[in-house]
Amino acid sequence: MEVKTNEAKRPAAALNPLKFRAAIYNNMDSEDIGFSNYSYWKSTLRTFFKNKAVVALVALVTGMIVMSFMYPIFSTVDPNKVSMLPLEWNLRPSAEHWFGTDTLGRDIWARAWYGCRNSFLLGFCIACSDVGFGMIAGALWGYNKKIDPFMIELYNIMTNIPSTVYMVLLAYIMNTSYITLFVSMASRGWIVEARFFRNRILSIRDSEYNIASQCLGTPMRRIATRNIIPHIVSLIIMEAALCIPYSIGSEVFMGFVGVGMPVDAITLGNIVNQGRASFTLHPYQMLLPTVILCTITVAFYVIGNKFADASDPRNHV
Amino acid sequence: MKTALNGHTTPLILSAKNVEVKFNLRGKTLTAVRGASLDLYKGETLAIVGESGCGKSVFTKSFIGMLDKNGYISGGSITYDGEDMAKYTTEQEWLKVRGKKIAMVFQDPMTSLNPVRTIGEQITEVITWHFGTEHEQAKREAIELLKRVGIADAEYRYKQYPNEFSGGMRQRVVIATAIACRPEILICDEPTTALDVTVQAQIIRLIKELQKELDMTVVYITHDLGVVASVADWVGVMYAGQIIEYGTVHEIFKQPAHPYTKALLMSLPQLGVKGNDLYSIKGAPPNLFKKIEGDAFAPRNPEAMEIDFEQEPPRFDITPTHWAKTWLLHPYAEIYRKELDSAEHKRKISATKPEKPFGYKNAEKLLQVKNLSVNFKLGGKEFKAVDSVSFDIYKGETLSLVGESGSGKTTIGRAIMRIYNSNVSGSITYKDENIVEKMSKNETKKLHMEMQMIFQDPMASLNERAKVDYIISEGLYNYHLFDSEADRMHKVEEIMQEVGLPKEFSSRFPHEFSGGQRQRIGIARSLVMNPEFVVADEPISALDVSIRAQVINLLNKLKRERGLTYLFIAHDLSVVRFISDRIAVINKGRIVELAECEELFANPLHPYTKALLSAVPYPDPDVERSKKLLTYDRAMHNYTKDKPLWTEIKEGHFVLANQAEISIYRTEMEK
Repeated sequence: MEVKTNEAKRPAAALNPLKFRAAIYNNMDSEDIGFSNYSYWKSTLRTFFKNKAVVALVALVTGMIVMSFMYPIFSTVDPNKVSMLPLEWNLRPSAEHWFGTDTLGRDIWARAWYGCRNSFLLGFCIACSDVGFGMIAGALWGYNKKIDPFMIELYNIMTNIPSTVYMVLLAYIMNTSYITLFVSMASRGWIVEARFFRNRILSIRDSEYNIASQCLGTPMRRIATRNIIPHIVSLIIMEAALCIPYSIGSEVFMGFVGVGMPVDAITLGNIVNQGRASFTLHPYQMLLPTVILCTITVAFYVIGNKFADASDPRNHV
Repeated sequence: MKTALNGHTTPLILSAKNVEVKFNLRGKTLTAVRGASLDLYKGETLAIVGESGCGKSVFTKSFIGMLDKNGYISGGSITYDGEDMAKYTTEQEWLKVRGKKIAMVFQDPMTSLNPVRTIGEQITEVITWHFGTEHEQAKREAIELLKRVGIADAEYRYKQYPNEFSGGMRQRVVIATAIACRPEILICDEPTTALDVTVQAQIIRLIKELQKELDMTVVYITHDLGVVASVADWVGVMYAGQIIEYGTVHEIFKQPAHPYTKALLMSLPQLGVKGNDLYSIKGAPPNLFKKIEGDAFAPRNPEAMEIDFEQEPPRFDITPTHWAKTWLLHPYAEIYRKELDSAEHKRKISATKPEKPFGYKNAEKLLQVKNLSVNFKLGGKEFKAVDSVSFDIYKGETLSLVGESGSGKTTIGRAIMRIYNSNVSGSITYKDENIVEKMSKNETKKLHMEMQMIFQDPMASLNERAKVDYIISEGLYNYHLFDSEADRMHKVEEIMQEVGLPKEFSSRFPHEFSGGQRQRIGIARSLVMNPEFVVADEPISALDVSIRAQVINLLNKLKRERGLTYLFIAHDLSVVRFISDRIAVINKGRIVELAECEELFANPLHPYTKALLSAVPYPDPDVERSKKLLTYDRAMHNYTKDKPLWTEIKEGHFVLANQAEISIYRTEMEK
């Protein structure tokens, strides 16, 4: 075989003839394909926080949550203090009352944060119950073919009754209180979540690694904790994040139609509603609560959706 | 520069020089193509071969500006039509070339077809978009194209949606779309990997015909050397982002120079001798995160030289048409090369004694399947995935179940593993115990310990969120098959050693492994249970040719050492010949022929078996080019009066046939 060098990058003189002999073979080297620094959670968080807007929104929401829980502890202003002096009613924003006072002379700045705290609490409770029950029901639904027709019918019935009618009816039957509000929202929210999780679990259930576990005789409990939950944790977080603004929004809506909380309870819904009554004369009374409400809703929606994007491995670049 | 003396007779149309493609991935810059060069000449067929992940797709995608959005060409030049395409930055510039002059056909036809539009509209759109033809005229042309790619009843089919087409038909439609603009260059990226062997053969034939008709240059990207042998004039072998050897198809197949090319060819099961280990390439191809120094293949090459680890080899010309990048061709390496050649020669001579066939006389039946049927409900309709199938498996043998996708072979395997609770009828007897019925906890446990399954897709069959350590120990945990934590670790390490993986890898997650390594993890997971009977469901069909040999050797070794019995499910007859004792051919839920391995290859009777055998690509350009392709159509049987029966036509050779056919087969066998 006649061989000649064509485009050698180094001059041939630099080569050492002694190097042309067998090298030692190492099995470890041949199996080593190069370590990628990939980790699902790290990549998800990196993708999530790469977006500057997301960082800002997360900071904003955290700030608001901290504020709404800290303010009632440290502030000395009583949000329910009604003034008998008409001079203190409907005050414009000033150094003493940052956002003015309402028709009864109550400080709007203080009321807004108290309301914010209560709304957040309500939102968290509903998110926990919806996603929690929804996940359990969804898992049973996904894994049990027999209950599938029944659950689908139940889903159709429950989602086809307009939520307004349902909530308003329930609020009439029971007395208006936190419990009523919670029951009316939580009692129907879970089915939507259940269906969502059912669809995801169905696709995981028949994947090959689950069949492999079945062949190895893995008990149901371990399949759930090792094979399924780790794959849907990101979905749980996302759904919970999307559930909170929805519940807060619903509470405000109920306040608007007049079946929300009792008038003396401080919630965002009540404050917005009271602000609305005097909107034509004193528009600033509605301003702060509305701004807070909008910020919370928009921020949570954006965060939830961005997190959903980030948790998809296809976006991990 | 190359001149007309380099064996090419037609003009040069595209020249890629030292192309470098980089990707930004999670904050790192990775080089996918490391200075690959390639020339395309008019009307020729070039095949680019290499393992998955070596950059062959990325390299050719850079010719039409279709890199993923985080990838870019960072060096070199791609000269086409007097312009350097590596400098293109806008979509506009690429659109002048993409689809019009250079078209691409992808592996999965559904990635190129829009599911919500009729296929006719999609082809018509391509024509009007590029040529501005009027709609009516374009429609006529589209129908002509559909007819040309072999779609019957084209006027009617024009109005159908992609989901109404089978996989092979879809690929034909994609080809029709690709040639709609009469491109000069057609790049086919694994065009037949997702298709059945018989369909694959038809598609390859179609591309060949079209190439001649339209005088196109065709670039095949494939890891299947059988396909290469049948289509290519020229072959470029790619490894770790470089073309490492280039030559005519005969040169590459008969006188490979680079150790990687040699290894690729030697690891083909078609060329192995039964009972001996196949030659296998060790380890796995490097991924982009690995730093490459010297010859990228050196760490996996047991015969590498010291210089291979230190300096990158230059290009050596062997003949005017054949070059390779390996230090073996350097004059200094001459003595070593001769040593290797003689060692290789010796190995070939010693490895020609085939194994004794399996003795069925005294064999004991381990598993009996009688009249097994599996029904599925699909959209309210019930259909039979498996239709009264019967066979026995003897202790210690390997029975292969071969058929195309949708033939029900996987369903049989899963029915034996008791994955379908209902819809199974008939009986499956394992060690005198019917396992179709409900079983007690203890019996199930015993069965799980004795019967295990290996899965097809190594990417889907491992839990991505669990460490290898847990994946392998899953079965141990389930039945507490260990005394202490140390004992469990010891068992895991032992089994990892057995499947050839360093035990240090046990704390890694599955995504850090290549397909072949993942498949070995899957095998370790089932073997740690110490089973007697293993259902291997296409364990190698998702793997690269080079990696297949590793897995086949491993399965054979385990069979010898542990006395395992396999039910081996596959779609490729060439592979099963090397490992099986008996083969059952299955078509549309029914086993049509069952015989001992060599008997089946010597005397195939059923027309379906014959068609399958003829469609298998053989990795030898001479054999491949003189081959005749047979097709099978169910309508060729006349079963209206004379019903087919499962008949033993010769000892151990069963065939599904009616009386008339049996007499024909008998006379055929006497010849």
